[in-house]
Amino acid sequence: MSIRLEQLTKSFGGQRVVKSTSLEVRDGEVFVLLGASGSGKSTILRLIAGLSAPDSGRIQLHGRDVTDLPPQERGIGFVFQNYSIFRHMSVAENIEFPLKIRKVAGPERTRRREQLLDLVGLGGLGNRYAHQLSGGQQQRVALARALVHEPSVLLLDEPFGALDVKIRGQLRRNLKEIQRQLGVTAILVTHDQEEAFELADRVGLMERGELLEVGEPEALYARPLTFFGATFLGAGTVLVGRARDGAAQLGALSLPIPPEVEHEEDARVRVLVRPEQVALSAEPPERGVRLLGRGTIVEQSFLGALRRLRVRLPAIPGTRQASPAVYGEESLLVDAVLPAGEDLSGPEVWVSLKGWHILAPPRPRILACDLPDAGSPAPFALLQALEGPLDARISLLSVTDDTDRVEALRASQTERAAAHGLPDAEPVVRRGEPVAEIAAEQVQSLYDFLVLKTPESGPSEVLGGILATLSTPLLAVQEAPASFARILICTAVGEPGKADVRVGGWLARRLGAEVTLLHVLLDGGEPAPWVKAHLDAGLATLRALEVTSRTALRPARTAVQGILDEAKEGDYDLIVLGRHAASRPAAGRSRRHDFTFEILSGSGKSLLIVPPDQ
Amino acid sequence: MIGRRNGAGIPVGLLVLVLLPLILMPIAAVFVFAFRGGPGEFLKALRTEDAQFALRFSLLIAFLTAAINAVLGTWAAYVLAKHRFRGERPLAIAINLPVAIPTVVVGTSLLLLWGPIGLFGKLLAPLGLQPMFTPAGVLLAHLFVTFPYMLGAVKPLLDELEVTYEEAAYTLGAGRWQTFRYVILPALKGGLFSGTLLTFAHSLGEFGATVMVSGNLRLRTQTAPLYIFAQFEAGKVAQANAVAAVLAALSFVIFFFLLRYSGTTGKERT
Amino acid sequence: MRSPFRPRLEGGLVTAAGLALLLYAVWPWLPVPGRPARPRTVVFYGFSILGEALNEDVLPEFARGWRQRTGERVEFITSFAGSGTVTNQLTLGVPAQVALLSLELDAERLAAAGVVAAGSWRHLPHGGVVNRTPFVLVVRRGNPKGIHDFSDLARPGVRVVHPDPMTSGGANWALLAEYGAAARRFPGREEEAGFEALRGVWRHVVAQAASARAARTQFENGFGDVLVTYEQDVLRDAARGTLPGEIVYPPSTVLSEHTLVVVDRNVAPADRPLIGALVQYLWSETAQRLFVRRGFRSVDEGLNAANPAFGRIQDPFRVADFGGWDRVKKEIVDGIWKDRVMKEIGK
Repeated sequence: MSIRLEQLTKSFGGQRVVKSTSLEVRDGEVFVLLGASGSGKSTILRLIAGLSAPDSGRIQLHGRDVTDLPPQERGIGFVFQNYSIFRHMSVAENIEFPLKIRKVAGPERTRRREQLLDLVGLGGLGNRYAHQLSGGQQQRVALARALVHEPSVLLLDEPFGALDVKIRGQLRRNLKEIQRQLGVTAILVTHDQEEAFELADRVGLMERGELLEVGEPEALYARPLTFFGATFLGAGTVLVGRARDGAAQLGALSLPIPPEVEHEEDARVRVLVRPEQVALSAEPPERGVRLLGRGTIVEQSFLGALRRLRVRLPAIPGTRQASPAVYGEESLLVDAVLPAGEDLSGPEVWVSLKGWHILAPPRPRILACDLPDAGSPAPFALLQALEGPLDARISLLSVTDDTDRVEALRASQTERAAAHGLPDAEPVVRRGEPVAEIAAEQVQSLYDFLVLKTPESGPSEVLGGILATLSTPLLAVQEAPASFARILICTAVGEPGKADVRVGGWLARRLGAEVTLLHVLLDGGEPAPWVKAHLDAGLATLRALEVTSRTALRPARTAVQGILDEAKEGDYDLIVLGRHAASRPAAGRSRRHDFTFEILSGSGKSLLIVPPDQ
Repeated sequence: MIGRRNGAGIPVGLLVLVLLPLILMPIAAVFVFAFRGGPGEFLKALRTEDAQFALRFSLLIAFLTAAINAVLGTWAAYVLAKHRFRGERPLAIAINLPVAIPTVVVGTSLLLLWGPIGLFGKLLAPLGLQPMFTPAGVLLAHLFVTFPYMLGAVKPLLDELEVTYEEAAYTLGAGRWQTFRYVILPALKGGLFSGTLLTFAHSLGEFGATVMVSGNLRLRTQTAPLYIFAQFEAGKVAQANAVAAVLAALSFVIFFFLLRYSGTTGKERT
Repeated sequence: MRSPFRPRLEGGLVTAAGLALLLYAVWPWLPVPGRPARPRTVVFYGFSILGEALNEDVLPEFARGWRQRTGERVEFITSFAGSGTVTNQLTLGVPAQVALLSLELDAERLAAAGVVAAGSWRHLPHGGVVNRTPFVLVVRRGNPKGIHDFSDLARPGVRVVHPDPMTSGGANWALLAEYGAAARRFPGREEEAGFEALRGVWRHVVAQAASARAARTQFENGFGDVLVTYEQDVLRDAARGTLPGEIVYPPSTVLSEHTLVVVDRNVAPADRPLIGALVQYLWSETAQRLFVRRGFRSVDEGLNAANPAFGRIQDPFRVADFGGWDRVKKEIVDGIWKDRVMKEIGK
């Protein structure tokens, strides 16, 4: 192994920019760290170079632990984005600099310098100064200078970032060639996926300080593990369906899920379709083809050899779009490419799939509202208890109307989170009014759970506001238990929802909790046969999730009373309430809240309120 | 370029009209008066022991001041440019204070601090040390008064250097000192040169602080400007003007090089 | 490069010029073989008008004699300023060994500050007084304003150039001259006559210089119609005809007396004989004659005939006639001039 990173972490000003990252780079390999700006990729490079020190973790270069060595002693070459050519030195002096420092004799210095100048194709330009060189030439000087002392590892920080698109390609090929010739191990940092694909033996994909996935370019493109990987690398359409009988259901279309992809029955499944996997035809395709539907071409762009098209399809039941992003419409957009010469007779086309890739289920993301001023500080102890078992990524949201406080809030949030054992929690501060900003944040980042602590004084306006617009399960926390061991899922009256059972069951499985499925009998006597059928269906779902579960039937005067009685007797930690579509209309809103609020204040327990599936 | 020629006559003429009595004529007067008695008288006035001493002493102090402040100023600029810390701004202001406060006040405060009845002076007195009214005192005052010039010349260059400049040197194997010596210092060449010249020129002409701390001792602490003033007060205008002319000529030369090099270094940098 | 030279050549020239300048500066301090050992130094402070007489005649003559007798070279480091300035500098600790002040009052101030022992100068010959000079008036050529006495300064339209009594010893003498001339003319009502005389003069003061010397420079540069100053300061130029004005001897004026102090704490034991010899020398006939030649009136009246330029004063008086500087300072300078005259004019 040339380079070995073990659980590197680094924070700046309380913000974690590199989160426990481990990586191995093989001898002679070109490894490209790809990510958006601010993803922490350059920081990793600087940590390897010794230009900044990690908070924890080790760095090995060729088996030697260099974590505590200064940059001078690490035997690396570094090419900076701005090249940092020494302006008062000629090209030759720049390239000789590392040799001079190492007291290499004059003739040998000259020989090495000429060799490197030839290698980078700058022979004869040794007497020039930086300001007499083009950007590309400067970059090559920087490269020669970084290589002249024969480092074992070459680090390049966005080396083509400041260059014309035109010469980038040429320089990339040069770089690759030089690297092969010298056999030096290289790590290159870039935000340009084209560059990554062209240069990399392997690519590491970074987002928010995390190395999400690592792989060879083609594998990463064809079979990304994460949604970020799917959308950041190359174009493509991600559709969300539901897993049923080992296949992803997109409306009528059923796409088999490969056994190695972990999935849960009835859970959401994301399907990635690259543009080249989409087949378009003017005529209805033959049977046996995986037909998605019929749509209209809404966009076309000409790319030379190819033509890129975007097709709008009418909404497909149980299917939603994750990428490309759509807003405010139910129809789906699918990206496709056609060879430039190929023509379709009209805007109406049949869309079928030649190939697809099922993404692994995502780590759940939790948005915890941190509103100490409203009596709802983030319940840190509970969040810490949930983070591990759920493998969740936690964001802390605070809202202020004071622009000047944003930075202070962010800092204090990070500090408090770290103090409560949540160093990886991501602080989010928004300006404005709490309910609106919570909703906006949710729409923007698609969290799996919202967490809000109920103030001591009882259910707050914020809670009411969120419930009114809720589209994500909400955990309303009271008296925060360390964890949830006993969960009560209330089907209340009528049909138990599917979403509440599924979400509650999923939570129970992850937390190892027991579940009781409650039905309240309002009119006494025996339950109707359909009640029993529904309870059995619920139990079956829970059993499939391998959750210990039972049913409870409780006669009571009102549903609320029944739930409260059961909650009290059963000593539950968490009550799961479904929120039925029927209760959504505006007229029912206040009644609905009364229902939720009554259970909250009556039971004193935490509540998980699950909206129905769309 | 358009209109540079047409219509420039009146404003330029006005400017010259204002500058003439304000700047150009007084300077010319120094030379005219210095040579009024002919070159023989001029040389004779220069050749007196007092005049010779004053000129040499002034030059010596200027050389020492420039050399010491070149090092101190560069160091201070480096520290200020490199580190970000709380109280950076107040410190930068404090360091630049000597330009803002009248030099006489500087002299007075030095005297009050280091003089025989001053705070530090009292502590030094039993040791037989007494910096005021000695050449060391003059040097101290000049170091103090001219300190900001070096900083002002070097710090902007340092601020302009990319952070990665230093880091690049580290990754290439250079240690801290080597980096400073081979990478940072050469990049500051222009600023070092003009800062040193400025310091030298200001030291050569310093009056306010010197008059307070020197004791105006002929043949011991009397700098050229003090000599000029003393001679002028004693009514020996010719003697005063001879040395004044030499000082003015030296300043011209220094100024010439300042303009020249600040011009070329600017060109090199872009 | 716009340079007319090749850069390298120019760099070399600049460096060479810089080095030459440095060499010139440090030359006297370089240990060149054959150069005489550094001489013993005496730091001598004096009030402003003494500069030429001391630097050019009196002190070099002493150095010559000392070298003849002992073979040692003596170098004088001198500084001349207004007597008050000199006194302040001595108080602040300038390393002077000997100082010649323009009035005894400054010696008293030094004693009060502990710089010299109280009254130590009175043990010197003539109570410490080295020489004297009367206060006179200098008017423009032809005396266009017809000024003959201090009382004429009170006439409308007369502009007076006067040294500043706060920093100049001479100015204090001038105050005493203006006051005393009137007081002696009106015996019995000295104080009122003196007050009116001072008020008359000071209403017309248009320039106050820090020292008597500086006041003269101002007058020479064209300020005012009349200058109140030491006879000595203007005598030589008047005799040569280079004074831009002429001397008017008032019928009655004061003879200023200049007091020598030895700052014992600045005298190293090894230097005591040297300083002792210098002090004695200042009252020797040689030194006194040199002072007379430079326009100072000797404490030995017999020597004053040697300078024919000295004008005749009908009624010369001394500070002792008004009770000494202690009283003059308290009653006249502070009591009348500062508290009454200046306050009234200030309004």
